[in-house]
Amino acid sequence: MRKIFRIYKPFTHAGVLLAAQYRANFYFFILGDILRCFINYFLWHAVFTSGGNKTFMGFSEVDMVVYIFISFLTSVLAYSDGSYAVGEEIRDGNIAMRMIKPIRFDLAFLFQELGERLITVTLIFVPLLVGVEIYKFVVTGAFAFNIVNFIIYIFSLILAYLICFYFNVCYGYSAFVLKNLWGANFLKDCIVGFLSGGVIPLAFLPPVISTILNILPFAALTYTPVMLYLGMYDVPTIIISFGLQIFWLIFFIILQQIIWNACVKRMSVQGG
Amino acid sequence: MTRFVSTCHLLAVINRKTKLTEKEMKKLIYVENLKKEFKKTIKDPGLKGSIKSFFKPKNEIITAVKDISFHVDKGEVLGFIGPNGAGKSTVIKMLTGILTPTSGRCEINGKIPYKNRKNYVKEIGVVFGQRTQLWWDLALRETYTVLKEIYEVDDESYKKRMAFLNEVLELDDFITSPVRTLSLGQRMRADIAASLLHSPKVLFLDEPTIGLDVVVKDNIRKAIKAINSEENTTVILTTHDLQDVEDLCGRIVMIDKGSKVFDGKISDLKSRYGSSRELKFIPENPDSVKSLDFNKEFNLKSEDMAYENDGVTFSVRFNNDKIGVEKLLNYILSKTHVKDINVSDADIEEIIKGIYRSEVKLDA
Repeated sequence: MRKIFRIYKPFTHAGVLLAAQYRANFYFFILGDILRCFINYFLWHAVFTSGGNKTFMGFSEVDMVVYIFISFLTSVLAYSDGSYAVGEEIRDGNIAMRMIKPIRFDLAFLFQELGERLITVTLIFVPLLVGVEIYKFVVTGAFAFNIVNFIIYIFSLILAYLICFYFNVCYGYSAFVLKNLWGANFLKDCIVGFLSGGVIPLAFLPPVISTILNILPFAALTYTPVMLYLGMYDVPTIIISFGLQIFWLIFFIILQQIIWNACVKRMSVQGG
Repeated sequence: MTRFVSTCHLLAVINRKTKLTEKEMKKLIYVENLKKEFKKTIKDPGLKGSIKSFFKPKNEIITAVKDISFHVDKGEVLGFIGPNGAGKSTVIKMLTGILTPTSGRCEINGKIPYKNRKNYVKEIGVVFGQRTQLWWDLALRETYTVLKEIYEVDDESYKKRMAFLNEVLELDDFITSPVRTLSLGQRMRADIAASLLHSPKVLFLDEPTIGLDVVVKDNIRKAIKAINSEENTTVILTTHDLQDVEDLCGRIVMIDKGSKVFDGKISDLKSRYGSSRELKFIPENPDSVKSLDFNKEFNLKSEDMAYENDGVTFSVRFNNDKIGVEKLLNYILSKTHVKDINVSDADIEEIIKGIYRSEVKLDA
């Protein structure tokens, strides 16, 4: 394990340097996402004001606001560029340059991306979290930060990121067949965004559908961590959620390995 | 019990040692009946064809490498040449573990490249002239630090190694610049250094001099020579530049259309084809060439003399041993007026064509 860290640490370092190279690009992305967040906020604000009800499907307005911002935070933190990165390397044939190095393809990508994410985490995690807690304090008048929920949330978030990463790597390998992933990636992001509860809480959907979606890996990406943060789950549900997350993580790691082995055998390198 | 175990262990060690020496005695690189087929989707022309192939793709199997066998000794520099699309890069990619052969065997240093790739690539260095293994956005030095960790090179050997590579490839001037700002020549030198950081036993260079100017080419050749002679590194090199081959390679393997057409010393090649020259001229009056009759005048076999007329340029390929340049020139100038004239060595494509032709003849 320590050896893995020693070998792949430089990738993280390189990732940080790369992210720093493209700062402006990164700020614009985050800015766009935050704007979308506020649109969501005003939309739900209007729903609650006009409806006159204190709660909607078990969510109070405060819950909803916290949900919007924490699910945004979670989806940003647990987002993985894996499919773009892998797909792009396959498309331009640069994957060959990785194969001539004694490294594992997935780990090299993972550690590089962790480096790139490091800045995101430091830049938006603390301000957003503090902002949400201050909002809760101002509206409800009580300080309700739950440290246990927070720790559970962090664990779940890490698992969510890893699932997302390996899911995306699997998806990226489809570039071996499709050759170009741009359109497919766009579709994937939209579908995953909805299925993972990034748009509306899964609890708002009909019970049958929401149960199915809860079992599918997508819920583990955003919905599970957010519900844990909000403290909406009891202990058995928390254990089941973690079990599901770990199951999906192992599932995608194995799937990724199988696809990789199959693809390498029939690979042709594009572009000479 | 412990004694038994340790004896067993000892035996195993001895066994491994003898195995190693056996392998060392063998040639370093073994390639036997290597074959690679690709599946390619064929598409009818036009938009309609695109749509049709999107829904119902038609596949065609293309054989990039038909059947290639050769071996290489330790410390040898092997030139791997052939026209574009001959399958050179595909062979290199199979030897470096990137592609899995459809059939056949290749073994390098006792290892099979595509099996246990991670372990195998620790012992080789690879440069693809058309790609870079450097981190595009990072300073060059950063790439080397990353590679140092990947290959687990300790600090002391790293320092020594960098000093050596610096001396041979002169990296100091640009080692702190981001890779994207390097010129092609600098990038190639940096790439070669990157492939040598871990002192590999075999170095694969796929067109290392592509697109470089004469001076840089010369520097790179010197560097390759220095590395080969100082460390006894085996080098496999593909190129289109005959000068690379002449300067560096003791032996060449030539392939065309996925098959081997020549394997031997460069001197053999030169004695067979080195005296081939090409004379090209543009006649003032295109009709005047009709009066030229090389067959009657010189009476040479078709492999010693061949000519071609595309309406503008008239070219004669001839064997310099059989007929002097002066004699040929005198004959042409006595029959026709020329606008421009030029005599040159047959280029590599010409030699490959020549060899390919004679192979075909041998088969027939």
